Amino acid sequence: MSKLNPKKSPLIEMKGVTKEYTPRKQFFSKSQNKVLALNSIDLSIEKGEIFGLVGQSGSGKTTTGRLLVRLEAPTSGSIYLNGSPINRLKGASLKAYRSKVQMIFQDPYQSLNPHLSISDTILEPLVVHGIGNASAQREKVLHTLEIVGLTPSNDFYDRYPHQLSGGQRQRVAVARAIVLDPDFIVADEPTSMLDATIAIQLFKLLTDIRKKFDMTFLFITHNLAAANYLCDKIAVIHEGHIVEVNTTDKIIHHPEHPYTKKLIQVQPGFNFGGRRG
Amino acid sequence: MALLSIKNLTIGYQTKEGILKAVDDISFELEKGRPLGFVGESGCGKTTLGMTLMGLLPDNARILGGSIGFQNKDLTQLNEDQWRKVRGKEIAMIFQAAMNALNPVMRVDEQVIEAIVTHQPEISPNDLENRINELFDLVEIPRARMKDFPHEYSGGMKQRVIIAMALACNPKLIIADEPTTALDVIVQDQILKEIKIIQQAMDTGLIFISHDIAVVASVCEDICVMYGGQIVETGTKQEVFASPRHPYTKALLGSYLSLDNQASVIIPDMREAPDLTLKSGSCRFAVNCKRCSRACKIGIPHWANISKTHRVLCCDETITGKTNE
Repeated sequence: MSKLNPKKSPLIEMKGVTKEYTPRKQFFSKSQNKVLALNSIDLSIEKGEIFGLVGQSGSGKTTTGRLLVRLEAPTSGSIYLNGSPINRLKGASLKAYRSKVQMIFQDPYQSLNPHLSISDTILEPLVVHGIGNASAQREKVLHTLEIVGLTPSNDFYDRYPHQLSGGQRQRVAVARAIVLDPDFIVADEPTSMLDATIAIQLFKLLTDIRKKFDMTFLFITHNLAAANYLCDKIAVIHEGHIVEVNTTDKIIHHPEHPYTKKLIQVQPGFNFGGRRG
Repeated sequence: MALLSIKNLTIGYQTKEGILKAVDDISFELEKGRPLGFVGESGCGKTTLGMTLMGLLPDNARILGGSIGFQNKDLTQLNEDQWRKVRGKEIAMIFQAAMNALNPVMRVDEQVIEAIVTHQPEISPNDLENRINELFDLVEIPRARMKDFPHEYSGGMKQRVIIAMALACNPKLIIADEPTTALDVIVQDQILKEIKIIQQAMDTGLIFISHDIAVVASVCEDICVMYGGQIVETGTKQEVFASPRHPYTKALLGSYLSLDNQASVIIPDMREAPDLTLKSGSCRFAVNCKRCSRACKIGIPHWANISKTHRVLCCDETITGKTNE
């Protein structure tokens, strides 16, 4: 698909996307206070990029992710995948879109169905989209388990989520996201529930997958240091506005917007000048 | 004399697989007015330790041995009535989840009043009002907002109320268990600064529990690193973070991301969770340790003094030996 496009064309593009939430009508309320979660944002993500979206809680970063996988529709503005708009997708074409765009959720303790075994969890997308016969699907699941580092894969195949640690669960969530070979993955705070030693291993996994399959990621986080480690480009979002977009290096070392500067300044850090590791 | 002195404390959870030692033979002392930080990953026993100091262990947990010396008392021997006099008054806790720690159907000031009146039933209405105002000023919540309900507060303000409740009776020891984990960085920065200022102003002892080494480093002077229920390394923050000795401390520091270190980040190869059913004293980190030798699996790690304050628990001579640095 990428061959059809000129080299610099974005894989995902958001143009003037606005999302409003209307609170439930109260009996005696006079006016409707609409909540503007996203205020006319523009984003473009190129193929093979890991794009970071950094902001505080309530800034609209999760809403952006949910719009991109079409869990919600924008109030106005449009979103394009490979140049074609996704706003009006319905039925079969929406289903096809969903096979190309996947999501990794924040909390691996809640995003996996406890009644489904690991194999069933990863099989489900293949079954839903009718890809391959039973034995091909089994092969694909085993292969995917190996990619995400759950080895020996036969051993994990029949286990259930409660038998896995948080880090292993999140690897299952990654496996479920990549099993359809999607073009684009939205990772919404994938490591905020994990310990530092486990989180860094998951980052390594994501960069390996990007290298191997040339996949494109939107990495949503509140942790600027994690975005710095993982991303090629960073957008800083504040109260529904994108205040700054630039390469990671420029954002971290030459921030322009006062809010970006503030984020960098409050980033917890310690420096004792000692040797590490 | 130390404010708090814990000796050989072991706490176990009764499970189907036998007794899990969530806290295994730990000893430390805390001086009055000193902040002491506990770092470690989830499941390392740091919250169990905090709950023990508040007398709030769940039913299936038992203190299997050791003592907790606090103001000439051994806290492990107290019954529930005696605990009620200590909890909140002498030892107070700043809880983890600010979102859930407040009662949603009580006004905020009433919740703080409750904390005071429980321990000082004879306080006069005037004194009570002064004290409340003083507390809300201390945590910088405007007086106009005192009569709000918790849902009208932001996450940071709720956490401030929790801090005010903890300070209500001028406790001698405050336990802060992941007080900023649910908050985002900007609010976290404010709350941490506040905790530090208040701790110094009131000269209380502070036990600060977190999984985030940078957060602990910003508040505490002394650090204990925990793994699998054991304290594996302890010292001043300079000693522990600038020249770590224990392989786990190194893995923890090496995997920490900050804005200027991505080139030096070391990806640890830690897969297995520590086995908490092992007999006391054996090395819990052996399953994940790169330096683990056969001697480690049979032998029992021992404490080695690197300096007067810096101590490490390990079997490996090259780690415990003083010659290496």
